[in-house]
Amino acid sequence: MSALIILFVFVTSFANRLLEWNDQLLLRANSLTGRSWVFDSLVGFFQGNDLAKAGVVGCCFLAAWYGGRTTEATRKTRKILLVTLIATICVIFTTKIVSHTIFLPRPAIQAQKIYHLAGDQLVQMNRLPVRTPLDTASQKVHSDLVSGDVQTNDLGSFPSDHAGFFIAISLGIFLASRRLGWLALGWTVLVILGGKLITGQHTPLDLLAGAAIAVIEVMFLQFISRLTLTPLLDTLSGLTLRYSALSSALIFALIFEMTSTLVHVRGFIGLLADVKRHVLLGMN
Amino acid sequence: MKLFKSAFIVLGLSVMTSCGLAKEGLVLMTDESYQARVFATNKIGIGSPDGLVWHDGKLYFADEGSDKIEVWSRTEGLKQLADAQLGVLSPEDLVIDAEGNIFFTDDDAGGLWEVDSKGTPRLLAGKDKGLISTEGIALAPDGSLLVGDGEQHKVFRVTRDGTVSEFLGKEAGITKPESMVFDEHANLYIADNEDNILYFLDTDHKLHKLIERRASFSPETIYYWQGSLYITDSKDGKLFVYNAKEELKTIAAFGGQLKNVQGITVDELGKIYLTVQTDLKHKAGTVIEISKEGSAVASNQADQK
Repeated sequence: MSALIILFVFVTSFANRLLEWNDQLLLRANSLTGRSWVFDSLVGFFQGNDLAKAGVVGCCFLAAWYGGRTTEATRKTRKILLVTLIATICVIFTTKIVSHTIFLPRPAIQAQKIYHLAGDQLVQMNRLPVRTPLDTASQKVHSDLVSGDVQTNDLGSFPSDHAGFFIAISLGIFLASRRLGWLALGWTVLVILGGKLITGQHTPLDLLAGAAIAVIEVMFLQFISRLTLTPLLDTLSGLTLRYSALSSALIFALIFEMTSTLVHVRGFIGLLADVKRHVLLGMN
Repeated sequence: MKLFKSAFIVLGLSVMTSCGLAKEGLVLMTDESYQARVFATNKIGIGSPDGLVWHDGKLYFADEGSDKIEVWSRTEGLKQLADAQLGVLSPEDLVIDAEGNIFFTDDDAGGLWEVDSKGTPRLLAGKDKGLISTEGIALAPDGSLLVGDGEQHKVFRVTRDGTVSEFLGKEAGITKPESMVFDEHANLYIADNEDNILYFLDTDHKLHKLIERRASFSPETIYYWQGSLYITDSKDGKLFVYNAKEELKTIAAFGGQLKNVQGITVDELGKIYLTVQTDLKHKAGTVIEISKEGSAVASNQADQK
């Protein structure tokens, strides 16, 4: 019993310490922003522009896809990359479910007035002194927030779906090709996730959790696929070589969509919902 | 496998340190001139209410979790007005007329129900008259009642003698008339929380779409007070205010246990009361009060009763 109590106290104090480090790290990274319009605009550009943000990772993926020196090597890397694509979908699904379950607003929002339910009372929380970047897009988001326009997506920042998504792809690339993998992982960590930290969109804990989900799911699916899906993957990778033109077109479409973080797929789902409403239900 | 184990430990620690927030619930005040507090919990006897109305110093609840219509006052506490014995299954929304007659809808049992000013409950018009799954309700200036039906995608007019007629047909395009309210000029606002549209029906019976296809907007319940329309959004956990001058503005965002904001009413002092269905299945609910910063709040908290 006493061992359990000691363990509980240890875990609680460790968790509290972790949260303190989390806030301190965030504020240190965030202190870089709000000082230079040029720096903030540069960081903002790599956050907002899909080509700049995800193009490098997408190129690494394509290079790994076509980069095998022999047919057997190409087939091997394609099997890894095909499993990575499936794992990435699973990672997005997991991070979305968790972030909808855990209500933890983005740090920039935690700078606002928040009440926290403690027992039967609402108690006002301490505010995080997060700085707002000076670039136009960030200033607009901040001004929208202050005027009351908060996006639901900004209320569930834990875990970071960007961290999950890009770490999953980069890790898959790393497993297929070490050199390209280092480049993709480096770009993801330093540019994509670093930017999220600097601009106060995510805490280190959000990013770590997203990355952890990605690592677990990618490794687990790679492991499982080797045990049970080898014949299927052999067939699939063989088909990509046999129907090279068609598989190139499909992989281009997939990478295009991945680098734009599925925005067009979401638009297509919206269209299907409208078709159901107008055609099947016969509504205006 | 080492990598796998390390990742698992990191994820476990991350979840351990953060999962408490999901259980606790938060309210983010995007309009900082407002403050929030818990007005009432299950301790006063409510279950998991949906609609609520402030009327003459009392709060009336359409308690969806407990299948009851209830009234709460500071002096008398909580009293039951109608329950499942009458046939009520899932009371949804309610209105009260000047004489104190209560009218309510029920999306499971269907129909339009009444508890008159003497406290006698009855079914005014049931499923047999075409009211299959009743949702929003509004008291029309002529004394009749408008009732939205989510299954038939229509709005019906019901007179006090129980005569039912079609007010807005399926061709109007309203999928789920979840909530309705008139303004002082007899214009009708209709909230459709399936298509996420706020409609406006003018006095010439022309239907307009006031807000549609807006990200993070799904109107659940609407309440008109002094030129402004107050709107809850249970899907996104938000409280909005809409008026012609400022258009749509978020007052507060809710999360965790408090995300499922449902009914809304405003008292004579401008204090906003919201019902939150924290756990409908287990009959758990909360009433949150949102008021302007600096207004007196401590004296009339329901839980102090």
